[in-house]
Amino acid sequence: MIELQGITKVYRTGSQSLEALRGISLKIGKAEFISIMGPSGSGKSTLMNIIGCLDTPTAGEYVLDSDKVAGLTFDELAAVRNRKIGFVFQNFNLLPYATAWENIELPLLFDGKGGRKRRERVTELLNAVGLYEWRDHRPSELSGGQQQRVALARALANDPPILLADEPTGNLDSKSGDEIMDILTELWKEGRTIIMVTHNDHIASRSKRIVRLFDGQVVS
Amino acid sequence: MNLTLPHFFWSEYRKRRKKASLITFALFWGTLSTLLLMAFGQGMSTQSQVAFSGLGETLIMVYGGQTSLEFEGLPKGRRIWLYSEDIDYLKERIPEIMRIAPESYNFWQVSAEGKEINRTVHGTTAEFAVMRTQIPQLGGRFINPDDDREGRKVAFIGWKVAQDLFGTKGAVGRTIIVNRVPFTVIGVLQKKIQDSMYNGPDADQIYLPFRSFRQIDNQRYIDQIHIQPWNVGQSKLIEARVRMLLGRKDRFDPNDRYATSFWNTIENNKEGQAIFKGIEIFLGIIGGLTLLIGAVGVTNLMYAVAKERTKEIGIKLAIGARRRVIVQQFFLETMFVFAKGTFWGFIIAFNIVHLVRLAPINYDSFGIEAYLLRPEFSLQVFAAYMAILGLLVFFSGIFPALRASRSNPIESLRYE
Repeated sequence: MIELQGITKVYRTGSQSLEALRGISLKIGKAEFISIMGPSGSGKSTLMNIIGCLDTPTAGEYVLDSDKVAGLTFDELAAVRNRKIGFVFQNFNLLPYATAWENIELPLLFDGKGGRKRRERVTELLNAVGLYEWRDHRPSELSGGQQQRVALARALANDPPILLADEPTGNLDSKSGDEIMDILTELWKEGRTIIMVTHNDHIASRSKRIVRLFDGQVVS
Repeated sequence: MNLTLPHFFWSEYRKRRKKASLITFALFWGTLSTLLLMAFGQGMSTQSQVAFSGLGETLIMVYGGQTSLEFEGLPKGRRIWLYSEDIDYLKERIPEIMRIAPESYNFWQVSAEGKEINRTVHGTTAEFAVMRTQIPQLGGRFINPDDDREGRKVAFIGWKVAQDLFGTKGAVGRTIIVNRVPFTVIGVLQKKIQDSMYNGPDADQIYLPFRSFRQIDNQRYIDQIHIQPWNVGQSKLIEARVRMLLGRKDRFDPNDRYATSFWNTIENNKEGQAIFKGIEIFLGIIGGLTLLIGAVGVTNLMYAVAKERTKEIGIKLAIGARRRVIVQQFFLETMFVFAKGTFWGFIIAFNIVHLVRLAPINYDSFGIEAYLLRPEFSLQVFAAYMAILGLLVFFSGIFPALRASRSNPIESLRYE
């Protein structure tokens, strides 16, 4: 499903360059639950951004569902992010002026789905994360756990086969963190591929495979 | 609810209320001034057309003259007169002529009911009415072919003549004495604006049937000939043919510019209209520049919005927004700012134009106010304004929108 071959990412600022990823090769199969771990600056987030088609590698080949990502245009990458990949961020990244309902509706709008389909899907997702009663509340009116559940519902809006979670419990108390992890586990059991970046060994232990990075390379 | 519409714009817009209010005012003022300047420009153009048509519709006037070239052994300096026979002579030989009428005039004493005035009295035929926009007031008429054929003693008079002789009493049916001969008034000229004339405005003139005029006037020649072509594009051709035919008949060189002269109102009108069109465009540009100041403000506002919403753009890009979605959103927001600013400018301009148009025009002293008091809010003005506005909306919105749509999703997501 996901195949990375010799992925390198170099950031250049003026005359200086920083090699964030050094020839990473990795295969992630369908319905895997994988954690990516490593110290700060090891390249976890960079790798996550490349897998999530938010960034492109400097060298190497990324094949997603038999498609070479390097050949895709900006809008084609956007379509991949919209339909194939759901994002859950540490700081939720919800639109502050939009309600829970509107935040979840956004990927459906970008996919061009009609009003009725959108209403049905948003209702279904809000019920699934237990926030239907909170649908008209803005992020600032929700707790951290609730906000992350809204973010999870948004990530699932177009029913993507891959879910990328960058420190999904990083800003949550342990109870809310456990709730999010329960949902992620449930989603994995439904057949989705879950790729999670975390510092936390306890959280990582919920996944079925751990990839450790150090200094831009896979060490185990 | 469609979130690609300017849904969150209000919150951002409210944050910049003070700046936004100034921009809204600039757009309001720009719209008001653009529309008013264009409406007044168009009104002046139309009024000039109306005033010009007060003299006549698509008219060529022919006058006699004096030769300036020797021709077939004849010396230069010969007087060339026009005669009533020339009317049929020209009409028969120039098929491009739709209407033709003779005109002779003399300055005579005219009296009625104990009042005496001195006015120019004209002799002409029925066709003159249409060519020279001699529209009678209700209950009256202009000279008809029977009046002319039978040499009836009837007169069509200007409204000022009617006022001077009869005051507020109806003039039709009353008798006036022209050069000691009684004539019955059959019609009074309707009020009109007229900025081009000879022998003064038509309001001060008296018209008699051509035959009747000749009976009290002892001149053999006529003063001028009025010609109306079938096609306005043929006016220069008609001029050339008249020169050629009269030259053949009266033996002068057709290239002699002084043997006959022309007042070609069709050509004059073209020049006049071009000048007024130029004024209209100039006024539109002045107004458009005012609007441009507001548009620059909108561009700045949209750049600020784009910058402050970097994170929001990053989130949208991360969850699958295509570039056109971002562009569309910024464009719609730009349109919203413009709509808010221009709406009241549009409404107020419309009402000012409407109110000004209600002001009466004084036909007795036709002056500059006749041009200024009839601004026009025409389809042409509206279309021109919309074209200017469309361009400004496009250029105000496109650059901030493109910049926003080209954001890097990761950098945008990191923006705080």
